[in-house]
Amino acid sequence: MSGSMLKCQTLALALLLVLLIDIGQPIAVMAAAITAAGAAESLRSALVQAQLALATDPAGSASLLAAAEATYQATLAPGLDAFDPASAERVQAGFALLHQSQASGDEVAFAAARAQIWTALLAGSYHAVEVAVAAGDPATAQSWLPLREFRTQTRFSRANADATLGVMGLRNGTLAPAEALVAVRADLLDTYQARLQETLRDLEAADGHNFPARRAELAALAEGYFAILAPAYAGQRGGEALLAAQATLRELRAAAVAGADLTAARAGVEVALAGFRAAPLSPAERTRRAGQLLRYLGLVPVEYARGVSDGRVTRPLEIQEATTFFEGAQAAFADLYDLLAAIDPTGINEVAAMLKEIGVQVHHAGTGEAVAEPSIVKARTEQAVARLQAIIPADWQMGGGASDFDVIGAMLDQMENAVRAGEYGLAESARLEAYAVLETGPEARLMVFAPQIKQQLEDLFWNGQGAAKGLAYLLKQGAGLGEIQATRTVLDSQLQAAQTLLATASAPLAVLANAALIVFREGLEAVVILASLMGSMKLSDSRHYRKPLWWGTGLAFVATVCTWLLARGVLAALARYGEKLEAIVSLIAVGVLLLITNWFFHKVYWTDWLANFHAAKRRLLSGEAGLVAGLLALGFTSVYREGFETVLFLQALVLEAGVGTVLAGAASGLAATILVGVITFKIQARLPYKKMLVVTGVLIGAVLLIMVGNTAHVLQVIGWLPIHLIAGVTLPIWAGTWLGLYPVWEGIALQAAAAVFVIGSYFLAERQRSQARERSHRLSPNHSERWTLPNFGKEV
Amino acid sequence: MPMWKHTFLLCLALLVTACAPATPPPPAPATRTDLGAVKSYLLTKVGQLQTNTAALQAAADGYYSLAQDADFDYRVLWADHSADVSQLLAAAKAAWIAASPLYEQMEGIVAGVPGLAEYDLILDAGASGEEDPDNAVPFDLTLPDGRVLPKPGNLFGVTESTLWGTFAGFTIPAVQADLDGNGASDFGEVLPDANVLKAGAAALDDYVHGLAEAAAAWQPTESDAFTALVVMTPTMSEYFSSWKNSRFVAGEESTQRDFVAISRLADIQDILVSLQVLYAGVKPLVATVDAGQADDIEQRLDDLLLFVADVYTQEQGGKRFAPEEADLLGAEAQQRATTIAGQIAQVAAQLNIPLE
Repeated sequence: MSGSMLKCQTLALALLLVLLIDIGQPIAVMAAAITAAGAAESLRSALVQAQLALATDPAGSASLLAAAEATYQATLAPGLDAFDPASAERVQAGFALLHQSQASGDEVAFAAARAQIWTALLAGSYHAVEVAVAAGDPATAQSWLPLREFRTQTRFSRANADATLGVMGLRNGTLAPAEALVAVRADLLDTYQARLQETLRDLEAADGHNFPARRAELAALAEGYFAILAPAYAGQRGGEALLAAQATLRELRAAAVAGADLTAARAGVEVALAGFRAAPLSPAERTRRAGQLLRYLGLVPVEYARGVSDGRVTRPLEIQEATTFFEGAQAAFADLYDLLAAIDPTGINEVAAMLKEIGVQVHHAGTGEAVAEPSIVKARTEQAVARLQAIIPADWQMGGGASDFDVIGAMLDQMENAVRAGEYGLAESARLEAYAVLETGPEARLMVFAPQIKQQLEDLFWNGQGAAKGLAYLLKQGAGLGEIQATRTVLDSQLQAAQTLLATASAPLAVLANAALIVFREGLEAVVILASLMGSMKLSDSRHYRKPLWWGTGLAFVATVCTWLLARGVLAALARYGEKLEAIVSLIAVGVLLLITNWFFHKVYWTDWLANFHAAKRRLLSGEAGLVAGLLALGFTSVYREGFETVLFLQALVLEAGVGTVLAGAASGLAATILVGVITFKIQARLPYKKMLVVTGVLIGAVLLIMVGNTAHVLQVIGWLPIHLIAGVTLPIWAGTWLGLYPVWEGIALQAAAAVFVIGSYFLAERQRSQARERSHRLSPNHSERWTLPNFGKEV
Repeated sequence: MPMWKHTFLLCLALLVTACAPATPPPPAPATRTDLGAVKSYLLTKVGQLQTNTAALQAAADGYYSLAQDADFDYRVLWADHSADVSQLLAAAKAAWIAASPLYEQMEGIVAGVPGLAEYDLILDAGASGEEDPDNAVPFDLTLPDGRVLPKPGNLFGVTESTLWGTFAGFTIPAVQADLDGNGASDFGEVLPDANVLKAGAAALDDYVHGLAEAAAAWQPTESDAFTALVVMTPTMSEYFSSWKNSRFVAGEESTQRDFVAISRLADIQDILVSLQVLYAGVKPLVATVDAGQADDIEQRLDDLLLFVADVYTQEQGGKRFAPEEADLLGAEAQQRATTIAGQIAQVAAQLNIPLE
């Protein structure tokens, strides 16, 4: 360290000390001015510089050490003595070692003692926070919490903030002390375990480079980090195991300080830490890991099979993806290992062996050493998944919301990688997979809790033409990575918003309400059409038309139930085609409804009035068989149009809260839908015939417009219809969800065309009726009173 | 009221009732901080960078013309035009040495903002496809003679190793050139492959123009600023690692292609300066959570910069750091940086600002 820097550091510490002593305030007040974290950081960095100066400037090194010790005594010692005397003792012992090594110029021992002091300060702070949180004292917890370390962040991982948010929750009264304590422990223990692992890796590297002082420092750091984790270790493995583990870490440090070979000691530490996870996984994290494990593992054979053909790797990118998913599954498995081993030790070791085998197969395919048949990888994976499903408790396998988002993120990463490699076909496939996970998972709840996010996600995944163009559109255009990443950024923030929102909405009652609303909303259009039509068929000669409607409806219900009964895996595989399936069935439904509307005006408004008069002739003209088929198709498509998607959504909710809750919700929704149907039917039936016909016509026309709008939207989502936004017009989300109104020219134009068709059909019917009336006058003047009705408001 | 009207109104009421959203929409992420100064800083730096990459391209084009005139016979080129060649290569190196720090001074922003990060990969951070396929640059370099260098590595690296001769494939090792006329062919005195230099310099200038456009279109958000700080601050160990392996520490044993012209310590300081600019933009927001913490983070950033500057000053003063010392310094910088980034991440969480 340069002389100027060293002087500067000493001066800073001295000033800090003078400030503290002069204030003469109690420690709590001083802590407000100079935080524990600030004092500890000054101390830590001063000791690093004291070590650097040890050989070249012993006097400067000694003054830095003295100033650091004084700072400790003035700022940190009182609090540490009170909260964690054992850590305070370790700090004092560390300073004694520092003085010894400073006097002898022993940089190796100095480095180890420095690490001992630092980790003892971290341990002391951790205990202080624990004690304060448990006592419901957020102010004290907050004053000590910043004296902590964080996981070393990379470009892809961020520091955990659970402890901070836990203490904040305690302060705001939104968390009880016990809840805040869980968050604090989970965050800090996870952090220190990560630092321990990282330190052991660095130690291996320092050992390889033969850096004696670094070896000693890192070994002492490992010992210190483990001291923080010790209570968790003892809790899981018992006191004896803890003593043995502590002994191995002591040996490691002693060997490092002595400059001895570290191989045996490092191996001992590795054995002691194998499978140990200090941070208790919260129920949500447990569920998330279980979801990740099963989902990622399930995707390994899918990607592998795409990458291998005829015994050789044909698409290396797919094998890379299989590797990524395998590594994700393995990481989740490692996190759950101890917990699952407590449930079924034999079973979990069998799974570990299977995973090892799959890992070798995937790895060998990646390196080209050997290429296993996809069927072998698939069979082994399915076996492992089945075994895991049997071992993992059922409630951990429910509510995989967070893991769904993880998988979506991983799929989108793959999409980007594929674009980077110029493989747009692969990128599109990854995009579709990601969307399928969204649709079979979180989308169901988004529909109810955040429809605005659902629509934005849909646009960003598909062909949206907003500021950030949809990914499907961009991939189709062969857009550059930058543009795709820009959309991805927006998509990520929407996914994050969705995840945050849904994290608070998974209570069983919320899921039940979700299921009910989904069924009600999806069923509303169908029931309005069916009830109106059936209500209108109340004359004896048209009642028989109700039958095909009932048949079609019944068939659709059977098809929907069959869809429900399909294995979830099959549904997930089909989910990537979900939007297209909906588009096709919707097109058929709209086509049939147009026909029926036309028929309705021509037949019911006009022909029915001629029923007694020209019955035989009418049957010939209207084509009875076609009419029956049309009604049957209408019954079927009206219900099944939304059936597939509804089932997908409900299946997703089953994962959240179980079959019982979802079926109860679906039954409530169905009951509400039927009630609407019965009310519509009853009112229709009570109305005088002519008014009933008017109401039916209006209702069917309205539903037709909604269906046309929604179908146009689905077609635009999947890119089968171009999108031209109506500049300056924004509509509320509900206008789209419930009325099929979207601010796009195509949708509005098609709805207008449908309206023209309906109204035109009516006027055509009217015109034909007039012509018929004239003809009738000429043929039979006695029937004139039936043909001179001025309007539909007049009773017959 | 006639019955049919009742019916119609009932249905309408049903639809309207059903249309009410189940929950109010979440608040849109609003920007509570004026990040205009950050954008102005970025645009100023990128403008200066454009001037220098254009100068580099001009010098590279001049060198290429001379080589073309000599029918790419570099012995003839050096024999006939040594003065012109020396002058052009000196100009190219000067432009590169001016351009590289300018980029580093904005790298904290470019690499940390998700919408701009691709340019960092292309210009300064991406590996070659051969070295590290997972982190390779996303482009191939087509040379004027029709050769294609697939994923050759980042463009500052390509031009640096071409100009200073740290990658044999991009230079003409057969010709010993004494560019400064001191009677010896010292480190960096090589004749570059004119095709590689021309294509590399042109691509560098092209992508810098692309970056300028992207930067002009960039609407900085709080999430961008916090993400950049959290992502870029803790990358100290990467930079110290490349410093440790560079010729500034490892001397002639170094086999590193890049970071030979300018010490990585200078780059680290430049990056930290860009992070200070970013932090200044969000500090008022941080202060709304905890004014003391806001000052503390600022102080820690300043201290980190001072720490690196001190090591750099010693290096410039002729000190040769031992590898273990360099390792300790890197670990210390990383420790400080991780703590700063961790603190910023805590504030972001409390402000509910998403980190990409």
